[in-house]
Amino acid sequence: MEKSNEVLLKVEHLCQYFKIGPNVYTKAVDDVSFDIKKGEVFGLVGESGCGKTTTGRSIIKLYNITSGSVYFKGIRIAAGTKSYKDAIAKAKSDLKAGLIDSEECSRIIAENKAEIKAAIHDQKNCDRDYSLRQMTEIDQKYAPLMAGLAGPELAKVKKQYKSEIRRARKTKLVTKIQMIFQDPIASLDPRMTVREIIAEGLVIQGERNKQKLDEKVYEMLELVGLVREHATRYPHEFSGGQRQRIGVARSIIMNPDLIIADEPVSALDVSVQAQVINLLNELRDKFGLTLLFIAHDLSVVKYFSDRIGVMYYGKMVELADSDELFRNPLHPYTKSLLSAIPLPDPEYEKARKRIVYNPVAAHDYSVDKPSFREIKPGHFIMCNDAEFERYKAEIK
Amino acid sequence: MANVEKKLQVRNLRISFRTSNGKVQAVRGIDFDLNKGETLAIVGESGSGKSVTSKAILGILAGNAIVESGEIIYDGRDLLKITEEDFHHIRGDKIAMIFQDPMSSLNPIVRIGKQLTEAMILKGKARQRESRTLFNTYLKNLKNTMIAAGVDPSAAAANCKKFDTFEFKHIELESAYNKAHEAVVEAIDTAEPLIFELEKNQPSRDAAYRIKDIAKRAKESVNPYVVLDYDRERVFQLAGSISRSFKNANGDYSIIIAELRELTDIMKIAKDRPAPNFFRMGYYLKFSGQPLPNLPVDKLDEYMKDYLDRDFMLAFIADAESAVRYAAVMSQQKMRDAIASLSDKRAAFEREALDKKEAYAAYKALSADVMATIDPLATTRDSLTYTFSSSIKSELDTYFGAIKKNERAIKVHDRDQRKHDKIVNAGKNPGWEVADAAVTDLDMIKGNIARIIDRLIAHYNDVIVSIDRRDFRAETIGAIDYLMHNASGVVAKVTRRVAKDRAIKLMDEVGIAEPHKRYKQYPFEFSGGMRQRIVIAIALAANPDILICDEPTTALDVTIQSQILELINELKEERHLSVIFITHDLGVVANMADNVAVMYAGKIVEYGTSEDIFYRAAHPYTWALLSSMPDLDTNEKLESIPGTPPNMIYPPKGDAFAPRNKYAMAIDFERQPPMFKISETHSAATWLLHPDAPKVEPPKILRDRIERMSKGRKTDNGEK
Repeated sequence: MEKSNEVLLKVEHLCQYFKIGPNVYTKAVDDVSFDIKKGEVFGLVGESGCGKTTTGRSIIKLYNITSGSVYFKGIRIAAGTKSYKDAIAKAKSDLKAGLIDSEECSRIIAENKAEIKAAIHDQKNCDRDYSLRQMTEIDQKYAPLMAGLAGPELAKVKKQYKSEIRRARKTKLVTKIQMIFQDPIASLDPRMTVREIIAEGLVIQGERNKQKLDEKVYEMLELVGLVREHATRYPHEFSGGQRQRIGVARSIIMNPDLIIADEPVSALDVSVQAQVINLLNELRDKFGLTLLFIAHDLSVVKYFSDRIGVMYYGKMVELADSDELFRNPLHPYTKSLLSAIPLPDPEYEKARKRIVYNPVAAHDYSVDKPSFREIKPGHFIMCNDAEFERYKAEIK
Repeated sequence: MANVEKKLQVRNLRISFRTSNGKVQAVRGIDFDLNKGETLAIVGESGSGKSVTSKAILGILAGNAIVESGEIIYDGRDLLKITEEDFHHIRGDKIAMIFQDPMSSLNPIVRIGKQLTEAMILKGKARQRESRTLFNTYLKNLKNTMIAAGVDPSAAAANCKKFDTFEFKHIELESAYNKAHEAVVEAIDTAEPLIFELEKNQPSRDAAYRIKDIAKRAKESVNPYVVLDYDRERVFQLAGSISRSFKNANGDYSIIIAELRELTDIMKIAKDRPAPNFFRMGYYLKFSGQPLPNLPVDKLDEYMKDYLDRDFMLAFIADAESAVRYAAVMSQQKMRDAIASLSDKRAAFEREALDKKEAYAAYKALSADVMATIDPLATTRDSLTYTFSSSIKSELDTYFGAIKKNERAIKVHDRDQRKHDKIVNAGKNPGWEVADAAVTDLDMIKGNIARIIDRLIAHYNDVIVSIDRRDFRAETIGAIDYLMHNASGVVAKVTRRVAKDRAIKLMDEVGIAEPHKRYKQYPFEFSGGMRQRIVIAIALAANPDILICDEPTTALDVTIQSQILELINELKEERHLSVIFITHDLGVVANMADNVAVMYAGKIVEYGTSEDIFYRAAHPYTWALLSSMPDLDTNEKLESIPGTPPNMIYPPKGDAFAPRNKYAMAIDFERQPPMFKISETHSAATWLLHPDAPKVEPPKILRDRIERMSKGRKTDNGEK
C-alpha cells in the first residue's frame, strides 16, 4: 500500500482529565504523543478503561482537552492549557523558595501566558482559520480567471465562485475527521431514514440540491455494499452488519481525510466482522483513507493496522510497526496482552500460559521516572534508563 | 470412554416460536450428550438457536415457545416434561447459568452480599425440607422391605427408629467437629500470611478485618476433639487480645506477632489431632446411658465399635442387606413381567393407524407395569424407567394431535399451491415459493415409540442378567451412606452468618480482592470483569452440577476474558463441573472445549472434539467461520460469509447453508444432508462427505493456517 511520509495527524502530550470531585481528577489520557501518516492505519489497543476511546474523542474535539495539542493537516485543532498553568504555578513557587529571581519568573509567566492565549485562540478558531485559508485559495484561483472575462461568461464563473466561497465559508476542518462508532444500533437515529442519516452531514455543510444529495447517497450505499432501495428504510430494518455499513457510509460521504473507527466490529458476529473489515479495507485502497482503528481484539488490529500503539491506564506504553510489535514485544504489559490472545488452535491453547502484568512488581519508578523513548527506528517504549538498557539488550 | 457418566442427554430437540408472522423454527432436531467433567462448546452465529437450546435446558424459554419434540434427560428426569415446582429444585441448584451481560443480570439497587446470599438461604431451607422427606421415605421403604423380606416386624420398626435417632446425634456431633476443624484451618490460613506481612512491617489494608476474622475463628474452634480443655482458656484470651494489640500497635507489631504465633501453634497441633468416629459415638451416647470412657482416641474408637456392633450394627446391616436383596429380586421379577407385557402390548402401537382408545389403554397399563419395577431401595434413579411414562404419553399426544393438524396443514399447502400455479400459468413470476406442508410425520412418532420400548426391554435384560454379579453388601453400605448423606442435609442449616462466610469464601475463590469490603458494595462499583466474577460466584453458590455459560466473555476485553476463562476452567477441575459453553468466538472455544457442536439454522452441522473441529473441519460452514476470523499471521483477504442466515419462518428445503455456500451442489438445495460419521468422535452434516460427492478442499486461508499450526507444533516439540 502506498504510504507517504506526510504527517496527517500529530498528537503531542495529549492529556484528558475528568473532574470527579473537588481537586480530584481521573487521568483518562495522560501525556500521550503519536502521529499518523497519510494513508496508514494506526491501531490503538488496550483493555477497557485505558483511555483508547477518550483519545479518539479528544482528537475529534468531542471533549475539550486538558493539556497538549492536536495538529491536523498542520493546523492546531485542539490545545489544552493545563501544562502552561502548571508552569506558571511552578515559577511562582520557585520564586518563593528562592530558586529563581523575579526577572526570570516574570519572563516565564509572560511566555506561558502568551502560550495560553494562543492555545485558547487555536482551540476556538481553528475552523475559521481553515475556512479563511480556503477562501483565500479560492480567491487566488478565481482572480486571474475573472480578470480576463466579461458579460455572460463572467456571470457564469462568478456564480461558480460564489457557491464555492459559500461552501468554503461553512467548511469546518474537524469535518475532515469522521467517526465510526462501536454500537451500530445506538449510533443511528431510529426516527430517520437511511437517506437522512447518510446525507445529514452534507446538509449541515450547506448542500441544498436534493438531486445531488440523492445521487451522493446512492453512490455511498453502493460503495458500502447496500442497494438504492435501502435509502428509504429505517435502521431497525437492517441486520447488525448492514447497520454498521450505514455508519461507514455516513462517515465517508463527508470525504474525510481521517476516520476514527472506535471498535467498529466488536459488537458484530464473526462472519459479519469479516464483511465489515473487508469493506473498510476496500475503501481504504480506493480512497487512500487514513484510519485510527481503536479495538481490543488484537487479532483484528494486527490484521488491519500498519502501526499499533498500546495503551495502559491513560499512558501509551509501546508503539511500533504491527509486525515489529508482535515479533518483539518489549514492554511487560504488551507481553501480557499478547499472551492473552485466544487462537483457533486447541493444542496451542492448552499450552498457552498467560503472563500476568503487575505494574508494581514490573517497574521500579521510585527514583528514575519513565519517559517515552525510541529504542529502534519506529519502535517507541515507555521506560526509564535502566529498563532502556535492558530492553536494548533484549532486542538484540 | 464407555464408562463416563452422562450428565445430560438431549435427544431430537425441536423448538419453535409462535410469532405474528408465522412459526419460527429456532431449533430443529438436535442431539448431544454432556459427560461429567467435560466442556461442550456450542458455536454459531446469532440466531442459530444456541441460546434457545440452553434456555430450554434451564426451562426459561419465552412464553411463545413451543417444544415440538425431544427430551432433555437429567438425573432420571425429562426436563421438558417436569412441572415448574420440580424445576425449582433443579434450576440454579443443579444447573446454573452465567449470562452474557453482567450488568443486566445483577440487580443494581441491591448490595452484592445480599445478591450472593439470597439464593443460598432460600435454597438452604428448601434443601433441608427435601433431605428430610428423602430420609423419611427411604427409611420407611427400608422398614417395609425388611418386613416383606421376613424380618420380625417389631424388630425392624424398632431398629429403624433407633437408626433414625442416633444418626441425627451422629450428624450433630460431626458437624460441630467439622465446623471447629474448619475454623482451625481457616485461622491458620489467614494468620500465616498476616504474620509474614507484619514482620515486613507492611500490613495490608484489610489487616484489621483479617485479625477480627482470626479471633472469630479461634473462638469457633473450641470443641472437645479439636482444641482441648487445657488450651481453651488461652485461646479465648488470645482471641480477645489480638484485635486490641493491633489497634495499639502504632507501627510496632512485635506483641501482635508473638500473640498470633502462639495462637497458630496451638491451632496447628489442633489441626492434626485425630478425630474419633462420630457415627459410633452418636450411638454410644444415645443408647448406652453412660458417659464416654476416658481413653485415647484410637482406643475409644475400638471400644465404641465393639459396643455398636454387638448391640446393633451387625444385625441391622444383615437385615438391611436381606431387604436390599429382596427388593432387587422383586424388582427383577417385575422387570420380567414388564418385558412380557411390553412385548405383548407393543402391537397396539404398531398398527397402520393407531386406535386412540386402545393406545391410551396400553400406555396406562404399560406405565403401571414399568413403574412397578422401580426398586424402592435403589439409591440412583433409573432414568429409562422414570422417563418411560412421560415419553410415551407425549408421543401419543403429539400423534393424535397431529392427525387433525396435518389435515389443516395439507389444506393450506394445497391452497398455496393452487395460488402459485395460477400465477405461473398466467405467465408471471410469483416471486415466492410454496413452503412444504408443515406435516408431522406419523410414522416417525410410531418409530419413536417403538424405539423407547426396545430401549427399555434391552435395558431390563441387561439388569436381569447382571443380578448375579451385584454386590449386595456394598449396596447396603451405599444405602446407609445415602441415609447419612440426607441426614446431614437436614442438619446443615444455612443461616445468614453461614451464608455470609460462604459468600466471602466464594468471592475469594473467584479472585475478588478484599472480599469483606466488596461484600457491602453495589454492582456499579465493580468493573466489567469483576461484575462477571460476581455473576460466576452467584452461579456457583448453590454448588451446581452443570454450568451453562452463555457468551460470558463477549462483553469483556482480552485480558479480562482470559482471566475469566481460566477461572471457569479452574473451577471446572476443582468441582468436576460439566460446562456448556455458548459463544461465537472460535478462539475462546479452542481454549475451553473438549467437544464442539457447530450450529446453523437450528441444527448441529458438525460435531467433534476440538481437535477435530479446528484441524479436520469438514463442513463448509465451519470452514467459513474459521476463515472469517483473522489470526496473528493472516495477511490475505478474509473470507467473509456472504448473505445472512435464512429466515426460519420458511426453513429451506435442503441444506440451510446452501445459499451462502460456495461449495453447494444441486442436491444441497433439494435434500437435507444426514449426519455423516467421519470418525468415532467426529461427524458432519454435509453432502460433500457422501461417497459420490466430488473431492473439495477447504479454503486456502484455512489450509495455510492449519499447516502453519502443525508446523509450529512440530518446531515446538523439536525444541523440547
